[in-house]
Amino acid sequence: MRKAVLIALTILATVVTALIASPPFKTSLTLSEAASMMTRTAVIVSILFVWIIAAIVVTLMSGREIRYSSIELRTSPLHCFALGLVAVTSFVLTAILFSYLIPYVVGIPLLIALAVFAILTKIYGTIAVFHAVGAIVANARSREDLAKRRWLRGDLALVVIGVLLLGAIRLIPVVGVVAWGIASVFGIGTALATKFGRREPWFLVWRPISAE
Amino acid sequence: MNEACQRYAEDPEGNAAHLSECRTCREMYAMLDAPIDSQPVRVEALPLAAWEGAAYRSWPLVIGGALALAAVALGLCAAAGISPLAALEAGARFDWRGLLQMATQAVRPLGPIGFSALFVAVNIVLILLLRRAPRGIDA
Repeated sequence: MRKAVLIALTILATVVTALIASPPFKTSLTLSEAASMMTRTAVIVSILFVWIIAAIVVTLMSGREIRYSSIELRTSPLHCFALGLVAVTSFVLTAILFSYLIPYVVGIPLLIALAVFAILTKIYGTIAVFHAVGAIVANARSREDLAKRRWLRGDLALVVIGVLLLGAIRLIPVVGVVAWGIASVFGIGTALATKFGRREPWFLVWRPISAE
Repeated sequence: MNEACQRYAEDPEGNAAHLSECRTCREMYAMLDAPIDSQPVRVEALPLAAWEGAAYRSWPLVIGGALALAAVALGLCAAAGISPLAALEAGARFDWRGLLQMATQAVRPLGPIGFSALFVAVNIVLILLLRRAPRGIDA
């Protein structure tokens, strides 16, 4: 059943991509338009290749953390999405605040530090989203199912499935950009909610010292 | 629990007579001494945990997926007449300054006090959301 759903989803994504890439409602396509579309698709697929390499490396280095973040995303999607939205807003407002400090020397290193943190959060979170998408679509539901599988199991396989599925969606104009934007918000949210998969509290609880 | 109960708890052998006097302690210690009806855990009846099979590395799928994507990217780059490096450079390009200027323009009508209030409010909400413990494994 799940295999049939997976195959149907893949075929559907391919058909939608093909329909939008070569729209039947537009009969004539100029050469420059076609070249532009080809270049855009080449750029997207090249970036997807970088994503798959980054996803493989990060999953090999810290598979457990990615899995914990993916579990959190699937368990509390609304919390992750809300946290991601607030975090992105906070990043932008903090960047504006730091940009006011550029005339003083401290502004530039603060902006660089913020940018590095934001980029790392986005990369880690997006890979957790790849894992979550792969797990939703292709994860084994029982031990018998898991034992029967030869290739389609393990964190690495789930991440690759997620990259390929989200990558196929990314090729759809407009929809792909929106879908990846939403995935990034989810990713930033889950990365921060689980403290990059370490599941440690961000803040220590303050308690007064009790006199014994 | 009174003092006699406390003394029995600290030294049961020295205060053995307490057990015949106190009904509460008698019932409680009888319950503690009762044999536990333990049953072996049936692993197959438990739901599949997220970590089961997670460490498996499916190299054929991983290498196949990466190579297929690389082949498609190279083919499209060749068809579009651009080098793969140029495609990567174009994809990675991001106008940080433009975005920052646009955001600055968007918050300018708020004024310094409004911006400060917005900054504090957003970061308070962020801290409140970050204080919630992750639930994933326990859910």
